[in-house]
Amino acid sequence: MKYIPYALLVGAAALFPYCVQRVFLHTPIEAEMGTAQKIFYFHVPLAWICMLFAVICGIAAGVQLRRRSERAEALAVAAGEMTVLAGVGVLITGPIWGDATWGTPWTGDARQVSTALLWLVFVAYLLVREYGPPNSERIAAALAIFGAIDVPIIYYAVKIWKTTHPQTGVVGSLPQSMWNTLFICLAALMMLSIALVWIRAAQARLAIALDQAWIAADTQQRAAQPA
Amino acid sequence: MRLLRQTWLLARNDLRQEARRLELVLTAGFFTLVVVVMFALAFFALDGSVQRKAIPGMVWLCIAFVGALTLTRVFDRERESNTLAALLAAPVERLAIYLSKLLVTLVVLLSCSALLVPGLGLLFPSSQVFSANPLALVALIVLGCLGYAAVGTLFAAGLATSSGKNVLLSVILYPLTTPVLLFALVATQRLLEGHPELWGTLSQIAALDVVLIGVGAWLFETVLIGAAHSSPAHSSPASNGSARAAAVSARARSKPVN
Repeated sequence: MKYIPYALLVGAAALFPYCVQRVFLHTPIEAEMGTAQKIFYFHVPLAWICMLFAVICGIAAGVQLRRRSERAEALAVAAGEMTVLAGVGVLITGPIWGDATWGTPWTGDARQVSTALLWLVFVAYLLVREYGPPNSERIAAALAIFGAIDVPIIYYAVKIWKTTHPQTGVVGSLPQSMWNTLFICLAALMMLSIALVWIRAAQARLAIALDQAWIAADTQQRAAQPA
Repeated sequence: MRLLRQTWLLARNDLRQEARRLELVLTAGFFTLVVVVMFALAFFALDGSVQRKAIPGMVWLCIAFVGALTLTRVFDRERESNTLAALLAAPVERLAIYLSKLLVTLVVLLSCSALLVPGLGLLFPSSQVFSANPLALVALIVLGCLGYAAVGTLFAAGLATSSGKNVLLSVILYPLTTPVLLFALVATQRLLEGHPELWGTLSQIAALDVVLIGVGAWLFETVLIGAAHSSPAHSSPASNGSARAAAVSARARSKPVN
């Protein structure tokens, strides 16, 4: 069990050069968008990872509040950080791609806006955890649950909001070879993200255990002092 | 029935304090005026058709600003007079505390809107369409403010114990309330355009409000109890809600000993 994340890291390291080679040398160039479309193979997996860990963070936060579970708390922190990290990747690659194909980095497309808002929610989650008042674990957990519930609502809200503006075309159907490349990239990035979350969650659990050890030692010392 | 009675009692208490000093309503109302004047200065040059597109944004941005200001104050009163713990010890349902604070916030927001909408109508001629459908306008403002306050009250309660942490409330509030604000924006746009689907959008906001109040009520107890436990953190470091702060202080204390 202890070595699984490291095995995943090694697997990701081995798979990643193959991904790059496959994306740039063995996958046909998309007819409409040209070479710029290559960024799709990293952009889409990152977006999926971002959404996935947002949902995981929300669920883990719910378990944390319900069961007072430290394991869930550690997982929620790690997943929240992964969401922000993958979100940065999505929000950097997205506008680059948009600039090359739509001619503008920001179109206000429903997915774009909802991803950006999701990212903001989880940055707020990390900020509250880090700089919040003493009870910030609970506030942050409530925030994560709200964030996970908000994801579909935000998407729908932006969609009806966009009906008052012109629609922009998004990628249509893709040939099978491109899908295969996409899934290999997804596998590499997924292995990397799971490994990182795993390691971070283990570290967060240690930190929580250390905090409790400090409190226990302190209470003992205080009990001993007046005697 | 009991829940409603308790909610009303708690809300009446807050509203009575408010009626004595008018602190929240006056400051928030004046802030609304300031924001409207600033909007007027910034956007006065817009011509009619553009104005109409900008007005929904102005309405809901102003409500978002005023809401953040109000929410920081709603729980401040409990914090300043140290009545939060008493409130939690009182034989009332926790849900009643949430609903009463929600009601107070809503009352303040609505009284600000009563200034905001006519003010905008005065300064921006194209927003006078609002008066064509007063029923829809009232429903829209009430539903939008209700959703905003439902999210806001929850997190304001959580941050109630920390005076300097108000910036965190805005950091949380704006991303989380975007869905309801976006729906409200769409509905306002449709109201101005006389769109046939206006009431459909309004019922969607109502459904969203139900979801937000439900989640808020469900999470309120955990968030608020954490806040109440942590207020005497320095006297009892082992209290449940503040493990990290207690650990930090324990570590600091143990240094001079070793």
